[in-house]
Amino acid sequence: MSLSRRAFFRNLGAGPADSASREFIAARGREALVNEMWRSGLSYEEAEAQFGPPPEGAIVISSNENPLGPGPAAYQAVLDGLDQWAGRYPTNFRPSHADLMQTIAAKFDARSENVTLGTGSGEILENAAKAFTGPDKALITADPSYMQAVSVARRHGHPVKTVALDANLRLDPEGIARAARGAGLIFLCNPNNPSSTILPASDVEALVSEVQRSSPDTRILIDEAYHDYATDSAHQTAIPLALRTPNVFVARTFSKAYGMAGLRLGYGIGHVDTIRTLAQWTHVFNSNNLANAAAVASLNDPAHLEQERARNTAARDYTIGVFRDLGFEAADSQTNFLFVNLGRPASEFRDACRERGVMVGRDFPPMENTHARVSIGTMDEMRQAAEVFRQVLA
Amino acid sequence: MSFSRRAFVKTLGIGGAAALSSSYIPRAYDLPSFWTPTLLAQEGPLLLHNNENPLGPGDRVLNAIREHIAPDGATIGRYPFALTGGLARAIAQRFDVEPGNIIMGTGSTQALRTATQVYTSPTKALVTATPTYEECTQYAQLIGSAVVEVGLNENLELDLDEMAAAARGAGMVFLNNPNNPTATVHPEDAVNGFIDDVLTASPDTMILVDEAYHDYVTDPRHVSQIPHAVRNPKVMAARTFSKAHGMAGMRVGYMIAHEDTVRELSPWHSFNTMNTPGILGATISILDTQRLEEEAARNTEARQYTIDWFKNAGFDATDSQCNFIFVKTGMNAQEFRDGARENGVMVGRNFPPYQEEWARISIGTLEQMQQATEAFAKVLRVNATAAA
Repeated sequence: MSLSRRAFFRNLGAGPADSASREFIAARGREALVNEMWRSGLSYEEAEAQFGPPPEGAIVISSNENPLGPGPAAYQAVLDGLDQWAGRYPTNFRPSHADLMQTIAAKFDARSENVTLGTGSGEILENAAKAFTGPDKALITADPSYMQAVSVARRHGHPVKTVALDANLRLDPEGIARAARGAGLIFLCNPNNPSSTILPASDVEALVSEVQRSSPDTRILIDEAYHDYATDSAHQTAIPLALRTPNVFVARTFSKAYGMAGLRLGYGIGHVDTIRTLAQWTHVFNSNNLANAAAVASLNDPAHLEQERARNTAARDYTIGVFRDLGFEAADSQTNFLFVNLGRPASEFRDACRERGVMVGRDFPPMENTHARVSIGTMDEMRQAAEVFRQVLA
Repeated sequence: MSFSRRAFVKTLGIGGAAALSSSYIPRAYDLPSFWTPTLLAQEGPLLLHNNENPLGPGDRVLNAIREHIAPDGATIGRYPFALTGGLARAIAQRFDVEPGNIIMGTGSTQALRTATQVYTSPTKALVTATPTYEECTQYAQLIGSAVVEVGLNENLELDLDEMAAAARGAGMVFLNNPNNPTATVHPEDAVNGFIDDVLTASPDTMILVDEAYHDYVTDPRHVSQIPHAVRNPKVMAARTFSKAHGMAGMRVGYMIAHEDTVRELSPWHSFNTMNTPGILGATISILDTQRLEEEAARNTEARQYTIDWFKNAGFDATDSQCNFIFVKTGMNAQEFRDGARENGVMVGRNFPPYQEEWARISIGTLEQMQQATEAFAKVLRVNATAAA
């Protein structure tokens, strides 16, 4: 064992169940940990065995993915793209970046200038943290929430203020507005990952108005990664609000309902002043040709999105019922995952499920001792997973 | 039919248009979006402006991707976490290094940005050339780092002595070898001497060698700095799949460095930035050395044809070690570019301070270069037949 590997284990402790590695995964994700481990001398095989890909044949309901992938039109666009255009930079490919931005803008009655693309919406979140936080301009976020912007702010040494969820695991708009005074950026994940709940559109508007009054220079980023899975009529996209309100912008992804997590594409949309600043940080050629082609095809196929939403809703309702029958209540999920109070550590539940071929979500501090996150797969997968949940939770 | 298409057909005549439709002619970015790929494949101008591989990736790469995403694309719905390890192992195998020596990302540019982020600041300058590849320069400016740009020498090579002198106390030196846009390369002893000079005078300065065009180099005195980078924590070598590997549209690149350097950079390097088809394609391509050699040979032949054509027409190019040439047309680059465009060929942008007389032209297939030189003959008002 190399010196650095020993040092790494000393830092991390014994193994996957250790709290240091759990914290690492919580902060930066499983992939980052695998990378970190092999960089420290562990062989890839060893690192992957502990933290890597799921066992063959496992039901993977851990990363909030769409189990079916993109629709037929998008899949065909990928195949067509492969046939001729993989060797060309995105500016020389049709649809180009510009075409995709135009297609996105048209969907929201906006202009291309209102849109900026990202390698997943993650790049939008990271660029927002770089562009809009600073040593004296804090990032405000709910806790727990999606961590990517937080990680970047912390890496740069910029202050991060967290605001706890309320008793129903919803974002606390008053608390967030209070914390936001003088802040650089508010990160608002709506619906929120991992708690799966929405902040109703009226509350979002009230929060925006309050922040504009009390802290007019603060930017507000609303991450709508799971928007397409929301079924509660109280939820609405904040994109129209963002388009007419300087300082407000929305992030969207093709990784969830559009089924393109493997193609790495997302976008930011909002008022041109904010988008222009954000776009300065955009990585050159950040989205690939196949993603661009699949995205345009998907956006032109709204019926498929409806179908995917309906499919998810049915499997979600079924899974909520399974937990309810076992005596466990999930938060009001408006996403493709559940956040369930199991009254036991998530790691216990996760390890027991994994042994039985079902992979569920990681720890979400500070709720890792009570709540588990379970993604929604196909109905068939959820039926099989339900058998395992019954065994594990009995 | 667009204006440029009309001009193109007029130039080539019927026979030319027929030959064109049977070959791989990519489309340009500013054509109307409602055109179908098939139409565009036949109608677009020659794309000799972005230093791409005109053939794209090989069948082994494409088939591996098709197989993985068949039959319905469901695997595209998954994050590529489980695939990145395979690519790291394949790169490690190819260069006899450890996965812990490798940083992968969205093109090589992601690693260039990360290194610039970590190693430059308002007081720790980026030292770079001008003209050269500008990603580090632009990112350094964005984050407010100091930038020192050193002009080229009279042979349009990087001025290694001046750059070494400027590197004293700098955060990082960017060395593009071969250099884009001038196509020139520095031999092993010159680069080693440069690295020694920099580190002797300024031991804390990092040296990033961008080898994007390495696979196209034919000068035997050139060697990769990858072995050096693995041994020396101050040296990093960046590579891309966008050039000889033909995967510009799939956005994968990497950097190889000492394990300690990788560990220093990785917290600043965004994860989950590579896509499933790109990762799979790169994993196959990096070990397909046969296709890489074929691609290099194909490029060398087309490059030599183009350089010879210009020479016979009375125009000198630098000694290109890339898939593009930098040629002294004696004409303003924009004028040349506009003229070439009128005749169905797109060539590179302006590269100050050489924009008054020099143009950068990417190397397509031999057939494409034969067509392109007909267009260049018109623009430069030379007798095409005599030049050929």
